[in-house]
Amino acid sequence: MLSESGGANLSPAAREYLLAFADDEHLMGQRHTEWIGVTPFLEEDLAFASIGQDELGHAADLYAVLVGDDDQAIDRLAFRRPPDEYRSCWLVEYETADWAEALVRHWLYDSAEAHRWDLLSGSTVAEVAALVPGAERDEAYHRRHADGLLDALLDVDESRRRIEYAITVLWPLALGQFDGTEAEAAAHDEGLVSALLADRLPIWREQTQRRFPSVSWSSMDDGGCITAQQHRTERHPDFDAVYDKMREVMKFDPDAVW
Amino acid sequence: MPTYEVFLKNDGREEYRHAGALDAANDELATILARECYVRRAEGDRIWLVERTNIIEPDATYLAANADKPHRHHSGEAVAAHRRETRAASTSSPESNSDPC
Repeated sequence: MLSESGGANLSPAAREYLLAFADDEHLMGQRHTEWIGVTPFLEEDLAFASIGQDELGHAADLYAVLVGDDDQAIDRLAFRRPPDEYRSCWLVEYETADWAEALVRHWLYDSAEAHRWDLLSGSTVAEVAALVPGAERDEAYHRRHADGLLDALLDVDESRRRIEYAITVLWPLALGQFDGTEAEAAAHDEGLVSALLADRLPIWREQTQRRFPSVSWSSMDDGGCITAQQHRTERHPDFDAVYDKMREVMKFDPDAVW
Repeated sequence: MPTYEVFLKNDGREEYRHAGALDAANDELATILARECYVRRAEGDRIWLVERTNIIEPDATYLAANADKPHRHHSGEAVAAHRRETRAASTSSPESNSDPC
């Protein structure tokens, strides 16, 4: 699947693990940028676009670990794979219905992402460990941004209701972030990561419940999304549309260079 | 939403300069949003955010009184003109050699 050369010397298990993280960053960045020009107010538009851009940057950095710094090779990996070779989770593939969902997904994603960089911070793969400080500096801003908006909006009845509804829609998908790739355990044994994603799930679940205390968590359905994702080998029904959108220019002009 | 005025400066001796304004729900969100609205390309090393209602702004007529005091302008033209006149007057009356300026 990943026969590109030029990147770090990695086992297939490590490659797939990093590909999953890169694909999540790529799709999350893509989904965030879809809000450019239509967020509720101008200042937020700029901030949210910046956050999307950061995620795309992290994706490019991770793809570069896999295939090297060559832009063409990164683009090939990012855009020219068939859907069944992506390893993104359903949370980032899903098309949000409104701004409440986009904001809640932003929090759910970035609070989980903090764990993912943390797991890589002591990685035996030096190229990956080197990415962590810069990414974590960006992510501290992302989390502050999401928390700042939620602090303000959870105080307002209508906003709180919309946010609570968004949680019920997104929760099953969000759990899928902690669904590892098939060979995750091998990647862990090799020292790529310091723990399994599933090890962090209880901590993150508690963080989420603290963040949204008014949600009736006891009645929340975990939804079976993790099973349906099949270790990220199955795509969400919304994937095809976003896949087409992000390949639109390339399909229009296959030789385009930018 | 409150409006905040944004001031930026670079490290060193440069002063803070007004960069623009933004709307934000509270001080924390103003801090968060200002970074990406005004410093996303590192336009400044430091930032001040001032909620517009905290700015003290006296009525314009209060300032207008000083629009009519040319002697406070320090280009020196008014003073030079005055000295020229005085000098001319003292040459025409030799008994006076004092210069009032």
